[in-house]
Amino acid sequence: MPCAETESRLHAYFDGELDALAAAAFEGHLESCAECRAALEALEAMRSALRAELPYERAPAALAARITAALDREASATAPRQQSAEDELAGDPLAALATLAARGRAARHGRRPAGGRSTPSFGRGLLTGAGGGLLAAALAFFLISPHVISPRGALLDDLVNAHVRSLLPAHLVDVESTDRHTVKPWFAGHVDVSPAVYDFTAQGYRLLGGRADYFEHQRAAALVYQHGPHVINVFSWAGEGALPADTTRNGYHLAFWEEGNLRYCAVSDTGWPELLKLVSLIRAAEGQESHG
Amino acid sequence: MTVEPSFTAARRVRFDAQVLPHLDAAYRFARWLARSAADADDLVQEAMLRAFRGFDGLRGGDVKAWLFAIMRNCHLTGIAQRDRRGFVPLPEEGDPQHGALVCPAPGPESASMRRDEERSLARLLEDLPPEHREVLILREIEELDYREIAAVTQVPLGTVMSRLARARAALKVRWSMRSEEERDAMR
Repeated sequence: MPCAETESRLHAYFDGELDALAAAAFEGHLESCAECRAALEALEAMRSALRAELPYERAPAALAARITAALDREASATAPRQQSAEDELAGDPLAALATLAARGRAARHGRRPAGGRSTPSFGRGLLTGAGGGLLAAALAFFLISPHVISPRGALLDDLVNAHVRSLLPAHLVDVESTDRHTVKPWFAGHVDVSPAVYDFTAQGYRLLGGRADYFEHQRAAALVYQHGPHVINVFSWAGEGALPADTTRNGYHLAFWEEGNLRYCAVSDTGWPELLKLVSLIRAAEGQESHG
Repeated sequence: MTVEPSFTAARRVRFDAQVLPHLDAAYRFARWLARSAADADDLVQEAMLRAFRGFDGLRGGDVKAWLFAIMRNCHLTGIAQRDRRGFVPLPEEGDPQHGALVCPAPGPESASMRRDEERSLARLLEDLPPEHREVLILREIEELDYREIAAVTQVPLGTVMSRLARARAALKVRWSMRSEEERDAMR
């Protein structure tokens, strides 16, 4: 049994939470410690089983329609509306929980809660401020959002939008794949680039197929992978200039790389380590092909 | 205070672009939080409306973790309200406390199927304490990082790490018991 300190580093390493230096140090330790290697393998086995076995469903179409209708009603209500305390707390879930916990305690013990501890928050308490400040802040956010005007931001928006659009029913793939040999020829007739096509089912990334998308003034290629419940789009197009840095937008990670004259971007709501693993698998396969 | 229609419409456009795409992820998480599919529907809808009302409070933050945190709060609020009212929900047909995601198949052949189901990882997860189940789902399935999990579950990073380690250990024990049973059954 590894000591607690080592065990905590083992999990952090397994979850991709160590920085490069600490990860390298831990890999050094792994080489000399059979116990930690075995523990790591056991963690990997359980993770693979969870990702392969656990059932998951997409949100029912009826639910999506219900929510859209409810939002329509909400958005069309232009009359003055007094925000309830609980609505305000929606912007600040940590404070909400503190309040909730305090209320729960108060309810159970029949007395007033003590002051909650202070916690960091997403909302920075904006909503608890005056309504006027709220409006001004949101308006400022809307107006000065930098990506609205910068071309780099436009590319990021295009990529995220293309990814989100692909998740709509019946938009995911134009050509289905059981192996890469059906996808590659399809691209030849439908997009302007000829990206590398690989399947990594054995590693947990199943190639679902390919799709044509239009951005950067060209017909770009999209390869679609399934990873657990997540869809990963790998876009490729011909580009020049500085390669955008890896970033996260609207909850989706974007990882960029180039190979020859092609730009690639993998987009998904997987974790970073999981997305970068697919990137490294693709790059290693490309490397083998170009040198083999 | 009067909300300008054009302003609300602009917020709706941003909400549709930034939050609604995470509906499927929210629903997956809701299925692990709620007792039934119908409860999950209600939970997701409530969370989406709360998120919309509180959307202006989100400033370039992590949309998915933010939405999950709101939904989890809605869930806990619901539990707290039921507790306060002394409300005990009747068990629903085909939807007992266990196996919220697995519908038991009716019929004579269901005995062996139920044995499989009882050994399924979903069932093993269902048997874990909620905070263990939740941290495993958020990390292994939804693939949130430690910081995001801390934000959703509203505990410090260190607690996320120790909870995750304990949850993995607990699931591993149950899982290896299943593997042993399977080996015994093969003999």
